[in-house]
Amino acid sequence: MDYISNQEPQIQEMLQFLGITDVDALFADIPAQIKLARPTVDDGLSEYEGSKLIKSLAAKNTFSDYENYLGAGAYEHYIPALTGAICSKSEFLTSYTPYQPEASQGMLQIIFEFQSAICALTGMDVANASAYDGASACAEAVLIALRSHPERKKILMGASVHPNYQAVVEQYLAEHGIDIVKIPFGVSGELDFDALKSQLDAQTAAILIQSPNFFGNIENMKQVVALTKPFEALVIHCANPLSYGLFAPPGELGVDIAIGDCQPFGLALNYGGPYAGYVACKQALLRQLPGRIVGETVDKQGRRGFVLTLQAREQHIRREKATSNICTNQALAALASLIVMLWYGKEGLPQLALTNYQRAAYLKQQLEKISGIETTSGAIFNEFLVKFPHSAAHVQHYFRKHHIELGLAVDSFYPNLSNWFLVTVTETKSKMQLDRYVSVAKELSV
Amino acid sequence: MSQTIFEKSQAKQRAYSLPAEDPVFAAFSPPKDLCRATPLLLPEVSELDLTRHFSQLAHKNMSIDTHFYPLGSCTMKLNPRINEWAASLPEFTHCHPLAPNESVQGCLQIIYDFLEILCKISGMAAGTLVPNAGAQGEFTGIRMIADYHKKRGDHNRCEMLIPDSAHGTNPATAAMNGYKLISIRTDENGDMDLQQLEASLSKRTAGLMLTNPNTLGLFSPAILKISSLVHQSGGLLYYDGANLNPMLNLARPGDMGFDVMHINLHKTFSTPHGGGGPGAGPVLCSQQLEEFLPMPRVIKHGEEYRLQNHSKTSIGNIASFQGNFGICLRAYLYAKLHGHYGLRKIAEQSVLNANYLKNKLAPFFKVPFPQPCMHEFVLQADQYLSKGVRVLDIAKRLLDYGVHAPTIYFPLIIKECMLIEPTETESKATLDQFVRIIEVIVNEIETQPELVQNAPYTLTVSRLDEVKAARFPILKHTVDH
Repeated sequence: MDYISNQEPQIQEMLQFLGITDVDALFADIPAQIKLARPTVDDGLSEYEGSKLIKSLAAKNTFSDYENYLGAGAYEHYIPALTGAICSKSEFLTSYTPYQPEASQGMLQIIFEFQSAICALTGMDVANASAYDGASACAEAVLIALRSHPERKKILMGASVHPNYQAVVEQYLAEHGIDIVKIPFGVSGELDFDALKSQLDAQTAAILIQSPNFFGNIENMKQVVALTKPFEALVIHCANPLSYGLFAPPGELGVDIAIGDCQPFGLALNYGGPYAGYVACKQALLRQLPGRIVGETVDKQGRRGFVLTLQAREQHIRREKATSNICTNQALAALASLIVMLWYGKEGLPQLALTNYQRAAYLKQQLEKISGIETTSGAIFNEFLVKFPHSAAHVQHYFRKHHIELGLAVDSFYPNLSNWFLVTVTETKSKMQLDRYVSVAKELSV
Repeated sequence: MSQTIFEKSQAKQRAYSLPAEDPVFAAFSPPKDLCRATPLLLPEVSELDLTRHFSQLAHKNMSIDTHFYPLGSCTMKLNPRINEWAASLPEFTHCHPLAPNESVQGCLQIIYDFLEILCKISGMAAGTLVPNAGAQGEFTGIRMIADYHKKRGDHNRCEMLIPDSAHGTNPATAAMNGYKLISIRTDENGDMDLQQLEASLSKRTAGLMLTNPNTLGLFSPAILKISSLVHQSGGLLYYDGANLNPMLNLARPGDMGFDVMHINLHKTFSTPHGGGGPGAGPVLCSQQLEEFLPMPRVIKHGEEYRLQNHSKTSIGNIASFQGNFGICLRAYLYAKLHGHYGLRKIAEQSVLNANYLKNKLAPFFKVPFPQPCMHEFVLQADQYLSKGVRVLDIAKRLLDYGVHAPTIYFPLIIKECMLIEPTETESKATLDQFVRIIEVIVNEIETQPELVQNAPYTLTVSRLDEVKAARFPILKHTVDH
């Protein structure tokens, strides 16, 4: 099948108008030796057949049969029904980048409100929604820092930043001649401040820390800021944004750039995407922000309106001198995240964050009571490390028999942390489910 | 006056609900010194207010579903709803990116099968669905070219050749990868200046980034010569797949001599543009570049699929996980529905629609390139400057007549231009109606140019002051605002 409107009568009229008998006449510039023959057999599907194909492939995914405790940068949360209802509206789903602002006030206002919501959550001055995901937000933040310190050639990065995010930062800096120094973590998974002190110097453009970090620990960001400021290096704080409902946001901590992935707000797991990165920063860094920014203005009658603004930073104007090659704004994903931030709102978002925290803390405490099971100390949000007195493969197998995906085997990213799991708990887990997890863990440890 | 949702806040109103708290949970509270000290200044709104707010905003936006949207280089074709249905199935949406391979065989098979389809369409040997956007696909491809030269010990290839008609992402991508940009002129036929190309090629050439058809909508008849020249110099060719729509199953970038490319699934494969994203930018490459593809990759063992996360030669990771699977799933279904037969029809009809519209509009504008175009074409409106009407004004007036404006002032090399791409899904009647609207606007320019200069009139706002927005930036809601 296809979605072509014109059929033989219209096609004939159009060909006639052009004075040709076959559309092939329009392809004279294509060298004959590379032009493919027109297929003779229709190998397409009807919509019904296509839907059957998709259902058969969907049935091969069995992940939904498991209670999921995986997190590590992608989180299972309840998505309010309103989210899908609004995001599937024609005007949002099928519009493009708002190049014609007068015909795009809906999307422009949404991006403006998203910017406002992220600023409220992070306590930063400006924000946008152009980064693709948490990893690309990290890379773009580091590039912002390097542009604001063009003479500095060194970046510090926590070894407890999500390993994929670290890899993407390295990828983006590959051709920039920048020294990336990893700051190790201590036994509890938190930043090694002695190592940090020894590495900070006048060559350091920025330090990138994730908190809650990859292992779920809340880092002492105040100390990071206090140590870094004398060197005038920028502090980049990567986080699960939901944690700011409960924990001190970057604006309170003196952080320069706040980044992360909006996935916990209304974006389904989707086997990895689409998600949406956010980048928020202090006013002084505004002109280094990559991607689309929406600003408020007025029309000829003085009525309020919104436009894409400060476009002199962008690739379509500045080409090779642009702040980034990004031309995406993750508008539809940002809309989903905005709806969820608003649905929970001033009172609900802290409550959601607290619910996540309490359920994770409860499970952690219950597991700690089982002899042979190890956890780490330090403050957590909704993830924590746990080690069973068995091989990771055995533990996974045992939990899966009970239809539980117990968490991430951390050695897939940190080979020396064998048999440790990163366990994530969100509001989607009831006390009954958590108690079942604990009883499976007990059986295993007997 | 349009109010933001922040201005609609009313004390204690709310939309949310949370599962009932078990008393045992209440015992847990985080250390006070780590907690938020300032209030969270999000609005307080009911579900009704939220619903109404966003429903009203929807009415302030043009879209493909509601309006003809001939935005050049953006391929604004119908976004079939069957794709949305597929992407909303919980068997897909619930899959965690780090889920064990055996529990996501459906996802992995889709990635594997879709890459096979894309390889066949592009004439390439291998590929990746990880890049999250066209620009990230470009970044990936250029990183692969850089590593290819490095692996061969060819360390002096520091220049990237890019035509002056290229999308802005091309030079920006080259610069992000540390390349020196060599800009190649466009000749009077709209093709790359071959003499300048030849003169620019050297042992310093890492590659050439090219869109074909280019942003003028023209297929380069010299493409085989161009690719052979670049290859002779030791450089590689990058294909910017933004304009792939008219090439589907008709002429393949691999056969044209390209080594690596990206495809914008949100253009050619109809996934929704969503106000600017998220899209996806899969990268395809030749055999000799396959080893540099980013991680993770999907490999097939017998009937089992699994993710490969490590390789010594790969450029490494480029995204948080394995890319925008939800977008790739939509595009996969779109490709399966069409088959190779239907994809060829897309190419042919997109070109027929474009040439029909171009010739219908020719009496009203200057046509800088008279030869047949591919899926899009450039017209020049500089003859109306004498009436004080710019192409921007024509674009705004089109909005009044219920048509989204074409791309304007791009490509940068053509003065007062419009880049028009009708796509294959539009009917002849819609194209004819567009021509009638243009005719009316041209009459208005002749008789009352100020009417066009001050457009639009019929939308929720009139012409917006972009200078003020940039000079006095207001970028978020503030309390005393």
